[in-house]
Amino acid sequence: MDIFTIGFWIVGGILFILSIIKEKEKSKEAMKKSRGMMKNMIGDIIGIIFMIGLILTLIPPETIESVLGSENLLLSSLVAAVVGSITLIPAFVAFPLVGSFVDAGASIVPGVAFLTTLTMVGMVTFPLEKKEFGTQFAVTRNVLSFGAAISIAILMGVIL
Amino acid sequence: MKRILKNKLMVIIVMIYGVLMIFKSEMAYSALGNSTYYLIEMAQILPVIFMLTVAIDVLIPKEWIVKRLGNQSGMSGAALALAFGSLSAGPIYAAFPIAKTLHKKGASVGNVVIILSAWAVIKVPMLANEAKFLGPDFMAVRWLLTVVFIFVIALIMEKSHIKVKSEVEITREDVVIRQDYCVGCTACAKALPEIFMMKEGKAYVINPDLKLTALDDRKKEYLITVADKCPSKVIEVNG
Repeated sequence: MDIFTIGFWIVGGILFILSIIKEKEKSKEAMKKSRGMMKNMIGDIIGIIFMIGLILTLIPPETIESVLGSENLLLSSLVAAVVGSITLIPAFVAFPLVGSFVDAGASIVPGVAFLTTLTMVGMVTFPLEKKEFGTQFAVTRNVLSFGAAISIAILMGVIL
Repeated sequence: MKRILKNKLMVIIVMIYGVLMIFKSEMAYSALGNSTYYLIEMAQILPVIFMLTVAIDVLIPKEWIVKRLGNQSGMSGAALALAFGSLSAGPIYAAFPIAKTLHKKGASVGNVVIILSAWAVIKVPMLANEAKFLGPDFMAVRWLLTVVFIFVIALIMEKSHIKVKSEVEITREDVVIRQDYCVGCTACAKALPEIFMMKEGKAYVINPDLKLTALDDRKKEYLITVADKCPSKVIEVNG
């Protein structure tokens, strides 16, 4: 567990205990509600996790490397953004990967597009987002985020 | 059958794994191995999310959330949402229950978008990692641009009146009393004592899992009449 997760546990734990001390009945009711919400999500979350494992096996880092290193800048940026939307690789893998490309002299635009969609756009979590927040919300948020990722990548290419 | 349909995603994934097991077993094992990291991450974060949603529900008054994160909260609301999302831990799905709880208590759609996006993209340990491998300049510029774009996305979604509509909620309870606004007149408890009761001056549904289909037509009609007669209109009959 990293230090931030531990901190999150401490804060969450203290607030939780405070709630119970302050209002026992209301806390019980809130726990019932929260448990219901979690129960609704847990099946999907476990499904998502095994899906991520599958995608990571089907699209290994080597594939991502070949996308980032491609000659055609526009095409490789778009493909990088799409790959970033589909996969969900941990940040500690993604940053060194992109870093090695930038160090080798490749353009940063595909790398930024990939890094940004990786976190902001979630094809894999989309079914759950749709279920919890509605189709309109989930579609709009993901589409706008994809556009934002491309814009950020282009702007970074101009600025840096 | 209903259960299987509900877990469509799960069924499809089990099937893919099954096929892989038969034809390319090493790939199936590698995929299972990759999943383990995320399963551990989930086990570490979900209990915190549970505790936090309870704490938000109990400790933070509705008025405070409406004022600080509601439609009128403006830039300071956006900044608060950004700080809240960035200082959290865990993957984006962990943000869903938190954002939903806040939205139910009055946080605006725009601020929900900011919390979700910031939760996914802007993490302090992630920023440190990025600065290490891509340089502080790269990290700072990408951070700044991302924050600007998150605000733009939130603004667009707020202005185009996108609503949060949960599919889960629609299929929840058939008879609901919004207790915050109940004036405690006892009319419903007197008319339908088998469905409603009074507790501490407020009416409540005795069996929250009550299904309308379990009532006969006359009873159902009477229930709707009683709901209509409620002076503060807090009885919701869904279905």
